Amino acid sequence: MDTVASTTKMNRDEIFELMKKFITEVIGEEFVEEMDITPESSFTKDLEMDSIEIVSFSEKIKAHFGNQIDFTGWLSSMDLDQLINLNLGMIINYIHECR
Amino acid sequence: MPVIKVNNREVHIQELNKGAAETVLLIHGMFSNLSVYYFNIAPILAKHFHVVMYDLKSHGMSERTLHGYDLNSMTDDLHALMQVLNLETAHLAGYSFGGLIALKMTLRFPDKIKKLIVIEAPDPKDEKARGIIDDYSREFLEHYVENFTDTTKVKMGKRQMERNHRMYEYLFYQTSIKTDMAAEKDFLNDPQILLINTDTLLLYGMDSNCLETGKWLNEKIKSSELLLVPGNHNIPIQEPALIGDMMNMFFMN
Repeated sequence: MDTVASTTKMNRDEIFELMKKFITEVIGEEFVEEMDITPESSFTKDLEMDSIEIVSFSEKIKAHFGNQIDFTGWLSSMDLDQLINLNLGMIINYIHECR
Repeated sequence: MPVIKVNNREVHIQELNKGAAETVLLIHGMFSNLSVYYFNIAPILAKHFHVVMYDLKSHGMSERTLHGYDLNSMTDDLHALMQVLNLETAHLAGYSFGGLIALKMTLRFPDKIKKLIVIEAPDPKDEKARGIIDDYSREFLEHYVENFTDTTKVKMGKRQMERNHRMYEYLFYQTSIKTDMAAEKDFLNDPQILLINTDTLLLYGMDSNCLETGKWLNEKIKSSELLLVPGNHNIPIQEPALIGDMMNMFFMN
């Protein structure tokens, strides 16, 4: 079970590693091994995550960071094209700026 | 990931704004999942309401189940979910096949439902709209995801195609979904529909092939209003902000 993180500010590399861990938990290690996950990786095209997997991923972020960030609120400001083109780097930046 | 036990089966739910006075329950469509609401529509509604989304049986992250895809069973499931969540009453909205579940719920438990929104419910007489054909095939899946699912804008990759293929194979060949759905083909002719007096909003796409069903329901349900949205059957994906605002306004007034 993920817990709300301490208030120590994470740098971008640490956030990236945490995101990779969440992605691995959602889609499974066997698929992640075949992928080269980078900050440029897009969720739908490169990581091939479908909408219910992105829900799981979002829930992991919310469980980890708690009230420190409004991740669902941030996602809800995007239209479908923006969601489709969402990449890891954009999320890393968002989390980094919030904290 | 909130997975709760309802009638001894695992149901994946998502809740927003738990402290709010009134609740909105959201039902997704066949072969879809709660993500159709999660990213846009639910956060808009959560500004004023406690929002509950759930994955139907064998969909999304809810437990796979062999039987019980008829509207009675599906509304039994929802009724049980309301009991587990201690919801005496709620506003209710359903999209596509979920719209038929929402209608059936209002027929069976009118005292539980404050207001009803039906988005793009199809006529279950129409086999294509029901999403049921006699022979499932990989080609059918490719055609179906191109035309009818909420992933129309994303080209499916190999892993996704495999995941979906497995879900369809399970639903088509192992569960009772086909026979259960076929048995509902006359549902909209149920004379009880004429007796609905719950305030009802019907939301349909201007270019939807289900629009005639929306007009027909509008004639039958006296307390209903039909509003058209630019788009086709996929309006919750095409116009999520507009749909969310319309739903909010209807439930608030």
